Amino acid sequence: MNKGCELSRDGDWAVLKVWGEVDLSWSQDVRRQVLDGFAKVRALAVQLEAVSYIDSSGIAALVEGFQHARGKGGRFALLAPSEPVRAVLELARLDRVFPIFADLAAARSAE
Amino acid sequence: MSAPPLLRIEFAARAEALSDVRAAVQRALAAQGLAARDTAQLVLAIDEACANIIRHAYRECDGGCIGLCIERRRGRLRFRLRDRAPAVDPGCLRPRNLEECRPGGLGINIIDETMDHWRLRPLRHRCGNVLTMVRKLHARTAP
Repeated sequence: MNKGCELSRDGDWAVLKVWGEVDLSWSQDVRRQVLDGFAKVRALAVQLEAVSYIDSSGIAALVEGFQHARGKGGRFALLAPSEPVRAVLELARLDRVFPIFADLAAARSAE
Repeated sequence: MSAPPLLRIEFAARAEALSDVRAAVQRALAAQGLAARDTAQLVLAIDEACANIIRHAYRECDGGCIGLCIERRRGRLRFRLRDRAPAVDPGCLRPRNLEECRPGGLGINIIDETMDHWRLRPLRHRCGNVLTMVRKLHARTAP
């Protein structure tokens, strides 16, 4: 599939891998998965290395995850955002807001 | 005689159409001498404008359509989006404060940041709105 997302578990972290173009047509699915990620753990990392495009509705799903974690005393991290994702984060000035790491090990070590 | 538009398309006002629209805009802008990052940002801004029309003007109802025309004139790219949705109050379209971290509402900021100027004009005697966005080429073109 050229776009999608998959939730998995790595110890006490949930990891949501997202790939392809994230836009209005399915960003609600990403949002749902982000919130589902917090169902059993208090830490979620979103792997964005393979995201070739993201619009503001996709960014909104990430902001919601970040806020959810903050509100519940949990953790939220973005892993290896691709260049298109970084560009939108910078445009929205969210690159200073989200904790961004190269991989899950780096996010863990920042705990 | 003015040059033909770089792109003139009409498409269904549905989120599922946006991927093809982005690809068409990308192709149309490919030969305009823009840096890859600038082209990507313009594609994003057009996509955000279309998404706003789908969500807020047509309120995600089926059956609407959007016309997009891209022209290059006097060192400027002009993007014009035409819908047939009920009139939208241009005063409602304001960029939000980016210091507030909250989901949603970033589309106008992205358009505002990308374009040199833009204007939404509700049509007085017909149903619909025209969003015109202009981006100067010379100041931001890649070296």
